[in-house]
Amino acid sequence: MENLDYARLQMAFTLGFHIIFACIGMVMPFFMVVSHKKWLNTRKPVYLKLTKAWQKGVAIFFVTGAVSGTALSFELGMLWPEFMKHAGPVIGMPFSLEGAAFFVEAIALGFYLYGWNKLPETFHWITGIIIGISGVASGILVVSANAWMNSPTGFDVIDGNFVNIDPVAAFLNDAWFTQALHMTLAAFAATGFAVAGIHAFQILRNKKPELHKEAFKIAIFFGAVAALLQPLSGDLSAKDIAERQPVKLAAMEAHYETKKGAPLYIGGIVDEENKEVTHKIEIPKALSFLAFGDFDAEVKGLNDFPEKDLPPVAIVHYAFQTMVGIGTLMMIAALIFFISLKKKSWLNNRKYWWLFAILSPLGFVAVEAGWVVTEVGRQPWIVYNIMRTSEAVTPMPGMKYSFFLYVAVYIILAVTVTWLMKRQIKVLNNSIG
Amino acid sequence: MMLYVVLFFTFFSLFLYVLLGGADFGAGIVELFSSRNDRQLNRDTIYKVMGPVWEANHIWLIILIVILWIAFPVYFNIIIIYLHIPLTLVLLGITIRGVAFIFRHYDAVVGASQVWYNRMFRFSSLITPIFLGMCFGTLVSGKIVITEDYSETSFAEIFMFPWLNVFTILTGLFYASLCAFLASTLLIGETTGEIRKLYSKKSAIFTIVLVIMGGLLLAYGLWNKVVFVQDFLSNAYSLSAVSLSALILIPLWKAIKEQHSLLTRFYAGFQVLLVIFAAVNTHFPNLIITSTGDINMMDETAPDSVIRVLGISLIIGGGIILPGLFHLMKSFNMISIPKNFTGEDD
Repeated sequence: MENLDYARLQMAFTLGFHIIFACIGMVMPFFMVVSHKKWLNTRKPVYLKLTKAWQKGVAIFFVTGAVSGTALSFELGMLWPEFMKHAGPVIGMPFSLEGAAFFVEAIALGFYLYGWNKLPETFHWITGIIIGISGVASGILVVSANAWMNSPTGFDVIDGNFVNIDPVAAFLNDAWFTQALHMTLAAFAATGFAVAGIHAFQILRNKKPELHKEAFKIAIFFGAVAALLQPLSGDLSAKDIAERQPVKLAAMEAHYETKKGAPLYIGGIVDEENKEVTHKIEIPKALSFLAFGDFDAEVKGLNDFPEKDLPPVAIVHYAFQTMVGIGTLMMIAALIFFISLKKKSWLNNRKYWWLFAILSPLGFVAVEAGWVVTEVGRQPWIVYNIMRTSEAVTPMPGMKYSFFLYVAVYIILAVTVTWLMKRQIKVLNNSIG
Repeated sequence: MMLYVVLFFTFFSLFLYVLLGGADFGAGIVELFSSRNDRQLNRDTIYKVMGPVWEANHIWLIILIVILWIAFPVYFNIIIIYLHIPLTLVLLGITIRGVAFIFRHYDAVVGASQVWYNRMFRFSSLITPIFLGMCFGTLVSGKIVITEDYSETSFAEIFMFPWLNVFTILTGLFYASLCAFLASTLLIGETTGEIRKLYSKKSAIFTIVLVIMGGLLLAYGLWNKVVFVQDFLSNAYSLSAVSLSALILIPLWKAIKEQHSLLTRFYAGFQVLLVIFAAVNTHFPNLIITSTGDINMMDETAPDSVIRVLGISLIIGGGIILPGLFHLMKSFNMISIPKNFTGEDD
């Protein structure tokens, strides 16, 4: 493998790590403030206990997200110096605003974590809300910068230089809204299901079921609402990509031949050499409809794009299928949750809790898969149709060692954080009351 | 005009990072160089004092980096390519330190693993500012080799030697001593009784270490004809700023004796401001000195449209953040402490 491949792997790895911690750090504060509000309203100790347990989770995930984010802000330049030199000023606006939002979050977190019994109760609770809102704002702003890479606007290229820069136009690029919506819902769905699943498992183990049932209810509510809305947002994204990045759409669907009334493939094995897909389920005309809202619309196939502009088709296709498949499962589970609000008897069925326990990690698998779709699907470009990833990479050789260093550090971190969470739950279960 | 707003925020972030981030690193260094007993005391004190703000302290670095890449892309490009390795080490240090701090205070079980969190925290608190100092030292050392032709020069000549030499190591040690001095001085105002005496002693020791390190750095630079040091010593403003900073040690110690913690902080902060001014003033705007010449950060700044939007963002962001930060510090008694403050947590 070349330097470029290792640089890409390192970026993929560190972003893949950061995305999980960022999502949890963004969404968990909302669970925490709901539980906190319930404590303020009811004064039932179970809510206070839950709030304090979740607050530790928020603190741990915020810091891991923050340090991996700090590393990323450097890495963007360290791995892709040419990209940052030209694109940095163009996409600077969302990043500078993100810095501000992140700062507000850190300040609010300082107030919240250390404010128990020191600050007025309502003010203290509001600082919790500010953590959540500024976290979501940070997420949306960062996604705006990524969306710009998919839909570069707000500048002209003259002699390889980016001129006539309009940072506001770049910020509000065409892909921004659909991507930010999809990512925010994904964060809520994935975190909601992950947290709910952990508590569902504790209920199965019959450890402090009253506390874990309250926790489950709060987390799954956020997750389920997001999981139900996500397919709508996915539809918006698909139509958007069909228009702006037809080659990415074709790769997602492993669609080789340009066709009117194109079929949708479910599953299937991609043979990149022979340019065909075997073992698939075909739904006639569905792709044309999903992409353009017309059963007979023409969908351009991969064969009609220059070979040198094609992304790795198989990876993008499998990742897309994984994301959609898990999304569908989560949507069904969300419906089951809402029905269970009426049919209370389901709550006594162990299968109900097993369902959510098993789904627990899958939301994050979908988040990773979705991110692979958008990033790998954009290759070989770092800025779509403007700058190739190979042109942006650092001239420094030996990226291999840097990659392995990051892998080692982040794996140790991930293992430690998981272990810490297990200890938190154990202590919570063994606590009195 | 907006360019000056951006420049102001660049150096403002640098100043706050050196001061607040530095005091934060310093707290770990002080703990590292403490006896077993004092370490526990220190651990509790810094948690209480810095806990609420420590996360915010480190965001100044992100703000600084973001401003550099947006407004000074060409300049940033050189920093990020040629300091790749030391910056990676800085990041590693920041990562280990951040998680160790949070682990040791948020691990639900207080057990044997604490020993490891403490070790990680203290060790990374020392090495991170050393590497940060080395990065700055590299930029002004005149040793960076900028080249397009990678066949003529070896990997080590481009990516190792410029940052790994006696001058940069001395710069790193100087910054680490500055951090330790800041932390021990700031912590005096936060404590009472025995602990207070402890920090007073530590502050005295680290003041001496700092002065020695500063002297060594300048002497080495002068002896080896490091351009930056030569220019530093022949620049009247820089020299006066450093001398003034040294003179302030006298009122600083008076303020410490009189237990005037707000004044203590003000003096320590002002000293850092003077040191940064002295360093930046010597060569501004040519803040990178390479083996083949100087690089002016004001050359090839981002276009006006970008600078304008960035300036406005910074003014708005600053307008939200600074009062919030001030209020946070005030709420947790970091700006002025009441007379009856006993230093005990609830």
